[in-house]
Amino acid sequence: MPSTIRVEIKRQASPDTAAVTETFEIPYRPGMNITSLLGEIALNPVDVTGKATTPVTYDSNCLEEICGSCAMLINGKARMACSALVDKLEQPIRLAPLSKFPIVRDLSVDRSVLFENLKKIKAWVPIDGTYDLGAGPRQFPQVQEQRYPLSNCISCCCCMEVCPQFNDVTNFVGAATIAQTKLFNLDPAGAVLAEERLRALSGDGGIQECSFAQNCVMTCPKELPLTEAISDMERDVFVQQVKDFFTR
Amino acid sequence: MATAAPPAPPATPPLRGVQPLRAGEGHSFFWRKLHSLTGIVPIGAFLVEHIVSNFEAINGPLAYAQQVKFLNSLPLVRLLEWAFIFIPLAYHAGYGVFIWLRGRSNVNVYPWAGNYMYLTQRVTGLIALAYITQHVWRQRFSGVMLPEHPGAAFHKVQMELQNPWMLAIYVIAMIATTWHFAYGVWLFAAKWGITPGDKARKRFGYVCAAGGAGLCLMGLISIWAFVGPKYANAPEDVMPPQPPGVTMPAPENPVPGSTNPEPSSLQR
Repeated sequence: MPSTIRVEIKRQASPDTAAVTETFEIPYRPGMNITSLLGEIALNPVDVTGKATTPVTYDSNCLEEICGSCAMLINGKARMACSALVDKLEQPIRLAPLSKFPIVRDLSVDRSVLFENLKKIKAWVPIDGTYDLGAGPRQFPQVQEQRYPLSNCISCCCCMEVCPQFNDVTNFVGAATIAQTKLFNLDPAGAVLAEERLRALSGDGGIQECSFAQNCVMTCPKELPLTEAISDMERDVFVQQVKDFFTR
Repeated sequence: MATAAPPAPPATPPLRGVQPLRAGEGHSFFWRKLHSLTGIVPIGAFLVEHIVSNFEAINGPLAYAQQVKFLNSLPLVRLLEWAFIFIPLAYHAGYGVFIWLRGRSNVNVYPWAGNYMYLTQRVTGLIALAYITQHVWRQRFSGVMLPEHPGAAFHKVQMELQNPWMLAIYVIAMIATTWHFAYGVWLFAAKWGITPGDKARKRFGYVCAAGGAGLCLMGLISIWAFVGPKYANAPEDVMPPQPPGVTMPAPENPVPGSTNPEPSSLQR
């Protein structure tokens, strides 16, 4: 067992400066994950050559794979830093920011595109009124069981990072937003916006850009049934388009 | 007098990188779905027909000529050819290249089966495009015209396959094209919401694999019929010419030098 952990981190001080790689060596402790490793570096931000540097910037919050903040490239692959255990990783551990999102600083990226996409498909249940709307419609357990796995999405953007179609040429919406469309269309109250959601998804960069490489479902840390959601939504979008063509 | 107010700044500054969904804008949904559909009908249907028709080559030059004559005596055959083969094929190929150019394959980082199939679908599509372009030019639009001379079909293909390089191209293209079609059918079912469930997709995968392998095998057997010893040195023409609008009967007796004295049951 090595007594130290070697980490190579791709760093960038600001969105427009050039990236550099800094190497750190951290004393080994059993049971570490990548966030505790980054915390260890912050305690003593000195690289292998003994040069003092700044603590590494990264997003994190819950540290238990439920907030979706700490997605990054760990040994080249997109995954959550909090659930990536150092003992199970090949060394030197290489850390880099997600490659398809604008860099804020170091390992922190701007993932607002997902928030914008969720707004475009109205990923909410409209329950606000100027008066008390009363109790919502009843939701059967069968529907609830279909919806629950989709509600586990933590907006980490891993599914978008690994998608060959998610890039700045297609500007594809990505699997997460499509899965949320299904989640809210299945909600008995949210279904009132179902047609609007399906029309939104047929726009440029919409669901049709999916080429079914299935990387999203392979990589999703919360194991959402993403390919099933894409398949279901693509049928619904198509049916909606045909219906609109003949009736609108 | 009031001057025009400057436009209000956007509520959120424009994002860098990948842009958000253009909800409800543009027509790419239609064009992408048309690409997907044309791959099944008419192109996929034609591919099946083409491989099945060519399979008649195992019954020799006269049987093959009968097939060519039958297809060319279909009503409005030139219109059918352009409307259901050439134009859809050109569209499917053109839009397919567009799709290929816009994707960013990453199998080097994520070496997963579906990801490899994503890449393979693009590679086989490009192979099929290159092959079909030369195939249509050399077999349909140059050399002896088969619509008027169906009897010359076997000899024409046999001469083409004499070149070992061309034979290799035909074998590779047969595998690539049937692969592209079989996975294309699977993708169609997945993408149009016909097989959303994991199990359904897996089961349908076996169906497509079996169908594609069967088609490919039929194609390869047909190639063997042209290059194998059974019909070596087929006569140049085994039938009277068929001028447009006139259908001449096939010879009652095998033409002199025919290597196919026993006509197939289809011809009797």
